[in-house]
Amino acid sequence: MKSFRLVNPTTLDEAIDFASDRAAGSSKFLAGGQDLLTEMKEHLSGPDRVVNLKSIPGLDALDSSGGSLRIGALTTLSRIERDAAVRAHWTALAEAAHSVASPQIRTCGTIGGNLCQRPRCWYYRLEEANCLKKGGTECFSYGGLNKYNAILGGGPTYIVHPSDLAPALVALGAEIVLRSKSGERRMPLEKFYVLPADGDVTKETVLADGEIVTEIVVPKPAAGTRSTYVKFKERESYDFALSAVGASVVLEGGKVAAARLCLGAVAPVPWRVERAEKVLVGRVLDETAAREAANEALRGAEPLSQNAYKVPLTKTLVERALLALAR
Amino acid sequence: MALEPIPSAPILSTREDAQAPKKKKIKTTKVVNGVDTEVEIEVDDVPTVAWPERSKLRVLNHDIPRVDGPDKVSGAARYTHDVRLPGMVYAQILVSPLPRAKVVKLDVEAARKVKGVVHVLVIQGESTGWLGDPVAAVAAETLEAAQDGLRALAPKFEALPWSVDHETATKSGAPAVTKNGNLGKPETDGDETKARAALQASPTRVKATYQVPIQHHACLETHGVVVDYRGGTEATVYCSTQYTHGFAAEAAEVLGLPASSVTGINEHMGGGFGSKFGMDKQGQVACQIAKELKRPVHLMLGRREEFLMSGNRSGGIQTIEAGCEADGKFTGFLVQAFKHGGLGRGSLAALPYCYSAAEHYRSVQSVRMHLDANRAMRAPGSPQASFPMESIVDELAYAAGIDLVAIRKRNLPRDASWQRQLDRAAREIGWADHPHKTKPGPALGTECIGIGFGVSAWGGGGADECEVEVRIERDGSVVTACGSQDLGTGTRTYMAAITAEEFGLPVAAVAARLGNSRLGNSVASGGSVTTASLAPAVKDAAAKARVAFATHLAAVLGLPGDGFRFEPEGILHDGAKAPTAMSWKKACGTLPAEGLRANGRWVESLASRGVNCTQAARVAVDPGTGRVLVLHMVCVQEVGLPLNRLALRSQIQGGMIQALGYAISEGRVIDPVLGIQLNPNFEDYKVPHALEIPRMTAIIDDEDTRQGVIGVGEPPVIPGAGAIANAVHNACGARVRELPITPDKVLQALGKVV
Ligand SMILES: Cc1cc2nc3c(=O)[nH]c(=O)nc-3n(C[C@H](O)[C@H](O)[C@H](O)COP(=O)(O)OP(=O)(O)OC[C@H]3O[C@@H](n4cnc5c(N)ncnc54)[C@H](O)[C@@H]3O)c2cc1C
Repeated sequence: MKSFRLVNPTTLDEAIDFASDRAAGSSKFLAGGQDLLTEMKEHLSGPDRVVNLKSIPGLDALDSSGGSLRIGALTTLSRIERDAAVRAHWTALAEAAHSVASPQIRTCGTIGGNLCQRPRCWYYRLEEANCLKKGGTECFSYGGLNKYNAILGGGPTYIVHPSDLAPALVALGAEIVLRSKSGERRMPLEKFYVLPADGDVTKETVLADGEIVTEIVVPKPAAGTRSTYVKFKERESYDFALSAVGASVVLEGGKVAAARLCLGAVAPVPWRVERAEKVLVGRVLDETAAREAANEALRGAEPLSQNAYKVPLTKTLVERALLALAR
Repeated sequence: MALEPIPSAPILSTREDAQAPKKKKIKTTKVVNGVDTEVEIEVDDVPTVAWPERSKLRVLNHDIPRVDGPDKVSGAARYTHDVRLPGMVYAQILVSPLPRAKVVKLDVEAARKVKGVVHVLVIQGESTGWLGDPVAAVAAETLEAAQDGLRALAPKFEALPWSVDHETATKSGAPAVTKNGNLGKPETDGDETKARAALQASPTRVKATYQVPIQHHACLETHGVVVDYRGGTEATVYCSTQYTHGFAAEAAEVLGLPASSVTGINEHMGGGFGSKFGMDKQGQVACQIAKELKRPVHLMLGRREEFLMSGNRSGGIQTIEAGCEADGKFTGFLVQAFKHGGLGRGSLAALPYCYSAAEHYRSVQSVRMHLDANRAMRAPGSPQASFPMESIVDELAYAAGIDLVAIRKRNLPRDASWQRQLDRAAREIGWADHPHKTKPGPALGTECIGIGFGVSAWGGGGADECEVEVRIERDGSVVTACGSQDLGTGTRTYMAAITAEEFGLPVAAVAARLGNSRLGNSVASGGSVTTASLAPAVKDAAAKARVAFATHLAAVLGLPGDGFRFEPEGILHDGAKAPTAMSWKKACGTLPAEGLRANGRWVESLASRGVNCTQAARVAVDPGTGRVLVLHMVCVQEVGLPLNRLALRSQIQGGMIQALGYAISEGRVIDPVLGIQLNPNFEDYKVPHALEIPRMTAIIDDEDTRQGVIGVGEPPVIPGAGAIANAVHNACGARVRELPITPDKVLQALGKVV
């Protein structure tokens, strides 16, 4: 790990000032450190200054008193998975938080860090492979060993976004609040992520240098809303998803009034499938509807040489998530 | 009469007593003029040592909790990694990031300038020959400074052509590891013509190709050493090793000291599994640096280096053609095998493994690659043979419509213990009530249940290599000592327990001392030989100590020497009417100041060899996702005389877990183009964790009544992968012929991937 200076700001403005002071060298925000430290140890990230967000009071709120759910960026995953209101009304989020890594990691890891974490692609994670994602010239997964890589939205890099919280939050219609020197902006979470083809391939989000995620806001669910997060991994003990689905439906009189579906671990961003959502609206949530939605969700998938299995796998997960919501 | 101690009685040296046996006359047969004649000859009057009958054992053949358990869980146990010495420096190694490369730049000066760096050693500055080949080492005041020093070397490598996959390595003109190319000369056994003819005539025939990956030992404690040398004529090496004596001797050579001046210490170690016999490059480098700096050196490999340079279980590919009669009797086996052992030859047990066939022919070739050489790994070569063998047994059984247990019994020797073990394993796993006995279940629903079986065999015998001392002090304390090492298998515990049994003492009353090359010689711990070599020597020493103690007490108390019994309630004498126990402490108080010592060596009759093992696995396969969940594993294993039943079951469970990892999640992944390992860490190299562990039934096969000790660590690691692979197929028809059986392969095998 490269040596760095640790700074402990006590206000958001101070943190932003530290991170925007280019003269003092590069900087990185530190939340739970569960991703950042592994990146620094592998020399994928070598900031001159580490700006500790944990020293800022008030960034770890978890509040649903106003009907919607407001989660401070520094709120830990273990708090989210245990919160009674989250479990009752934003079930997909509680399930997603519970599915992350191990209890130890969830005790330290935060929601902000989870949404901003970097990809897990084998090639990206190894310093020796100077891949496109790290500023090189080639995405090695494309012609290489790609069983964990993208089947949707890939190119020119084929990473998958590793966050478990993101697909659940997109399915719940969450918004993200960012703060920087030029003020505050707020956007639907799905707009926070950018496809490699649409922006800087070395980044996964619109987050600018020196910009901080301060809060996630999840709207109050409409009456009749049910949600779930279904994650599939290779190993029962801690592991990232091979595929996952966040699903939320509003059931009215036995029929689907509204639906939101977002796939995880199959695309470089949390992959919302609006066409599949449309298939469901106005229908009874039965096996046929679930299967049609699943087929629609995977339409256009372009597997690489070793990850075609993700197509049937993800279809299964979509179907099961929807049928679980019908029960 | 009460046995009262006489504290100041004059006492002969018990050591001489123990070592100068009297003579006795025995009758034996001699051929005189071509006729067997009974004659009387004189031999040393050594009491024959034998293990007591099993039912009479008070400590042994029971569950004995590990004596070092509390130290291990509390952190008090000191591993090599934990050693900190005054003035110690930390060293780290830079390895070749490519399978073959020219070293074009190493900025030694820059590394020297890093704050805290005290030494830079170029191991090879010209070129490298395998992925992980050590290039340079840096020693510094802190671990971090040593790591910074390695980066300051800013090495530049120029790729040279390499072979790291089967396809490349076997092409003509492939970048070659040896001057004779990569493909070794075929080693064959059996008769090809006969085997082919037998196959031709078989009513049922199957042919399939099976592949196993390179598996890592995955020791929690990485390889390494702490060398305590500060100049002068003596050194101590703390080493994570399976051979404490050998390590000390190797270190002496590099340090340029006489072997007698170097002490090897290995109190606790975090796994070896066959990969820690020698000191390796990192040990040599640490000694070189210590010699140069005259300061203690701490050099433990980092996790990535551990994955790249500390050996592995070789992988391989085998194509098998096999046939059977209508009743399941194997007719012919035709095997073509390739072993992937990197620079090494690879390792592979012969097929048809434990089974027999009327005719067989086998051709085996090594395929060399620019990767670290394979090393011994828990039952070397056997899991690689068992997985394809058990798979093809099932494939034949289904093709011929025969019960999976019946076909195994049909082709294993009728009088072999596998017969009863298969019955027991079948009973424990629930075979009788299982619906899919002669054809796999349908791939429907979310949970298809399947069962699979496998068998194995191992030697586990001992040899005369251990010297054990049992020492009784005047205050009643007892020590069993030998320089051997405890790989985590429970050596320390039985060393104490055997002596405790001998003297009627609780296990806690005996201290076991090991892991120090100053103590008596011991075997290298590999091939399950440690227990069968060491336990008899412990028993011998303890028995001699008992005889010596009895002789001593006889002299002190004026009683016949052969009537003493050492019982939990104290020391009794059979000759005395209404014996009253004399306490152990009081009896020891009569010993001379130096106490009593007895030395023991291996006694052949106390050991045995040859163990059979049978396993069964029950799995649930989700055909919608390809997920394999191992629900239950059963192992029935012979163990000879059980010393510590708890440790035995623990060894068996550990073996099953390692087999489970081999079956469903482990395997080295190398990108053949970039020449790098993609999973050199415990996040991506997936060993089983707590949630992967199934219900495990470890059964000691007590119908094996041999009164000899046998090593048992290897057999349980062998048949599990085959049993699991078979269970997956039995569950839903997904025949996965390449390990590990991950969800993508299961979906593929079910025809779900288009
Ligand atoms: C073994 C292991 C297994 C894991 N398994 C999973 C898994 O199954 N699912 C999953 O989703 N994740 C997984 N993770 C990834 C991740 O570490 C955790 O999910 C965690 O939530 C990250 O949060 P953190 O607070 O520790 O982030 P940090 O490591 O502190 O930060 C991560 C990144 O986000 C940036 N950042 C953090 N907070 C902010 C903020 N408020 N504003 C702007 N930038 C910010 C940091 O600069 C850094 O780049 C795993 C990690 C490990 C090590």
